[in-house]
This record gives sequence, C-alpha cells and structure tokens, in this order.
Amino acid sequence: MAAGFKTVEPLEYYRRFLKENCRPDGRELGEFRTTTVNVGSIGTADGSSLVKLGNTTVICGIKAEFGAPPTDAPDKGYIVPNVDLSPLCSWRFRSGPPGEEAQVASQFIADVIENSQIIQKEDLCISPGKLAWVLYCDLICLNHDGNILDACTFALLAALKNVQLPEVNINEETALAEVNLKKKSYLNIRTHPVATSFAVFDDTLLIVDPTEEEEHLATGTLTVVTDEEGKLCCLHKPGGSGLTGAKLQDCMSRAVTRHKEVKKLMDEVFKSMKPK
Amino acid sequence: MPGDHRRIRGPEESQPPQLYAVGEDEEPAARDPTRLRPVYARAGLLSQAKGSAYLEAGGTKVLCAVSGPLQAEGGERGGGPAGTGGEAPAALRGRLLCDFRRAPFSGRRRRAPPGGGEERELALALQEALEPAVRLGRYPRAQLEVSALLLEDGGSALAAALTAAALALADAGIEMYDLVVGCGLSHTPGPSPTWLLDPTLLEEERAAASLTVALMPVLNQVAGLLGSGEGGPTESWAEAVRLGLEGCQRLYPVLQQCLVRAARRRGAAAPP
Repeated sequence: MAAGFKTVEPLEYYRRFLKENCRPDGRELGEFRTTTVNVGSIGTADGSSLVKLGNTTVICGIKAEFGAPPTDAPDKGYIVPNVDLSPLCSWRFRSGPPGEEAQVASQFIADVIENSQIIQKEDLCISPGKLAWVLYCDLICLNHDGNILDACTFALLAALKNVQLPEVNINEETALAEVNLKKKSYLNIRTHPVATSFAVFDDTLLIVDPTEEEEHLATGTLTVVTDEEGKLCCLHKPGGSGLTGAKLQDCMSRAVTRHKEVKKLMDEVFKSMKPK
Repeated sequence: MPGDHRRIRGPEESQPPQLYAVGEDEEPAARDPTRLRPVYARAGLLSQAKGSAYLEAGGTKVLCAVSGPLQAEGGERGGGPAGTGGEAPAALRGRLLCDFRRAPFSGRRRRAPPGGGEERELALALQEALEPAVRLGRYPRAQLEVSALLLEDGGSALAAALTAAALALADAGIEMYDLVVGCGLSHTPGPSPTWLLDPTLLEEERAAASLTVALMPVLNQVAGLLGSGEGGPTESWAEAVRLGLEGCQRLYPVLQQCLVRAARRRGAAAPP
C-alpha cells in the first residue's frame, strides 16, 4: 500500500514524512547517513581511499607523475581531479565522455582544491621551470545514492593524506631526475575542507545529506565547504529555489558541526594506521 | 589532455617516476604452476544496480554491475547470429552489452580515461563468453548492460572480470544456463617454458604468451577463449587449456557459496 502510494505520488509521500520532521529512512532532517572510510586499499595507486556515505560509494585513487610546470607559474605543480560517473553507479548514466553531472562535480572539486589551498602547489615543484609533480586524482563513483559532492570531497581529502611521494633529486651533471622509490614521504596537507550538502523542499524546508530520491524531488540544492577554523572555502548553489540569509546561516553552522564529526573520523582512521 | 574540454586540464604530457627510478627489477618468485590464488567473492553490494559482484584474487580487484533488462536501443536489429537453432529468432533475442573499464590508477602507469582499443577488445571477449550462458531468448527486444570496472590489476584481469560479470548476472536474477568461470594462464619464456595458472602481474609482464579460458562448470563447456603470444607447439596450448579448465572447476565451489550467501542476505533484508 505504502509502496504503491510512493510510486504514484512520490512528493506527497515525502511531505507526509517531512510534516513529522523525519524522513522515510528514519533519519532526522539534520542527520547524516553512516559514514565509513577505508584508506590505502589500492596497491598500484600512490594514495587511495574508499568512502561510503550510506549507500553512496566513491573511490579515489591518486597517481603521481612528473611533468613540466605550467609556463605562467614555473614554481607550481599540478593537481588534476576527475570525477567519473559511469553506468556502474546508476542506470541514469551512459558510457562515453563525461556527462553534465560529472563535469560539474569535477569542476566543483577543482574549485575546492583551489580555494581551500589543501596543498600548496609550490610544494609539488621539484625544479622550478623544469620538473614538478602532477597529482592525478581520479574519483570513481561506484554507487550513486545522492550526495556525490560530499563523498567526493571526503574521499579526495583522505586519499591525499594517504599519498606518499618518493624522494627525487636532480643530478646536476646529467640534468635528469633520480628517484628513490624506497624513501617516501607524505604530503603536507594544510587544510581539511569538508563539504556538507543540503536539499531544499518546497522552497522552505532544508534537509541534510539527500539521497538520490530526495535529490530528484528537491526544488534546489546547496553545498557548503568549510575548513577547520570554520572558514568558508566554497559555496555551490546551482540555481533552484532562493534561500533567505537566515537559512544560509543555519546551513553554515550545520556545516561547521559536520566538519568536526568528519575530522574526528579521519583522525581515528589515520591514528589506527600509524604503525607502518 | 589537449582538446578534451570536458575534463580538467593537466599538463600536455607526464611521465611516471618509475622511469627514473634507481633500483633492480623484481623477479617473480618460483611457485607451483597449478596454484590458484585465494579468491574473495561477494555479490549484491551495490544498491543502485540490479545485480553486482566484487571479486578479489591476489592483487586483482574487479567490480561488476548489471542493469536491465532495459528497452533495446536502435530499433530493429538486422543481422545477428543466424538461426541458432531452438531459441527465438535472432531479431527477437535480447542483447548483452558489455563494457570493460580500467580505473586510471589500476596499473603501474596511469591510463587516461578514454580507454582505447584494448578495453574494447576485452569488452567484446566478455560479451562473447557470457552470451552462451545467458538465456537471451527470454528477454526479447531488451538489452542487458554489464559494466566491469578493474580497480587494481594484479594479473589475470580478464578472467576475474568474466567471473565477476557472471556472478553479477546471477545476482540480478537474469536467467542463465550456467555460471561462467574465468581462469588466466601465462607461458614463461626461457629454457624450460611452463604454463603458469593464475599469473600475478609480474609473471604476466614477463610472459611469452598468455591465455584466458572461460568455462561453464556444470555443463562442462568452454564459453570463451582468448590467447596471444608465442606459445610453442599446439600440444603446449592444449595442455594449457586443460590446466585452465581444471582451475575453473576448482574455483566453482567458492562462487556457489558466494551466491548462496547473497541470496540469504537478500531474503533477510526483503520487506515482508
């Protein structure tokens, strides 16, 4: 009976739950799904992580390669993110070049990296003008159940913290790089940006961490990225219903709380990996 | 990548640090040529796909998802295998579309996302091996989409993808005659060449020839065979195929267990 009503009138079905201040899966309006993170599982990648936000699963693998620094910034390296949404994660996507949602997500991650200064690009430079590290961050969504942006940001952060780069010396005589694969060091992560996504219902109600069904029924979405000092790194609001200033303020305070939760989880994971 | 405006731009070209590394190459350790690496298989883990399976064998990790049956695209299908006796006429049979992708971070060198010829060849091999096992006549004018993603390549990637794809199809409830189990082999070069079952990445890289066999264990019929390289006389290849088929049979009980567990989990989770 309930399942039939849900198929015919999904919005009404949802409104009944929202009136009672809860959602069909039992969560409160401001509650996140269970978040789990697993770091360093892919041996061939220089850094990797797997993040599960409820059913949404994103895996991030980072490969570090050598490249020439950009001509307009000879003392900087590159960080190249790429979000991949394939038919594997949801029947909505077609195989082939990245669709609209994937391009938007990739650009969002690039903006987060740029604005939050997760890594100083100068740290990636080995020899100004000649050699720098290029970090290819490939985020593959394995299961799309809503809230891709949060999962991708978290996966990227965890993978970057897991990356180990080998030591490189430039030999003066041959001007070639010499790489010592046995000696590796971690990256210097300066900030920890965490994303919190909201969905707007009927132009008024805000819910946190929408699932895929909720994203379809929503009239607008909003993503707030904060770092540990409570500073705002990035705000992503692609159209949709308008929000008052007060509501935005609420969102930002929720984002700050979420940041603390995520930071605690990450610290636990990395502390448990220490003896290596 | 120059010209690809849909992705974030990186440098024009880049080289892996391994090219400049100072150090010795590793040699694969000697081992029993018929050993199979322990396999971890789990079905039914992706909520958005109709059926899914994850397979891990040594360092090889493959994830496969199946969606469908969906409306077939492209309208009338003209040719197709002519009169494969018994089943529905070719124009009414369902289609199996396979897609094989390597994650960019799965190998030693990063592979940029548009895969290229090798992935298409492997996707075709997947399709040809899975078709004999699936009852496509039961899904007229529909298509089944199988997507295999290789997360980490530790040797015998195609074999693992075949097995994962068959598990995913079974998990999706698609009618099948039998499972398909894949096994990889590689031929060591040198003075005393031997065929090694289930090679690791190191062994595969140094091989003079490689072979992947797909078997339907209960029917005991070979579903697919893909081999290349210089393997020597035909008896050597025949011996390799025999070794591969044995390996597939040994793997079958693990997969049966996996599907039973997945079915139990589904039964327990289903709403009353």
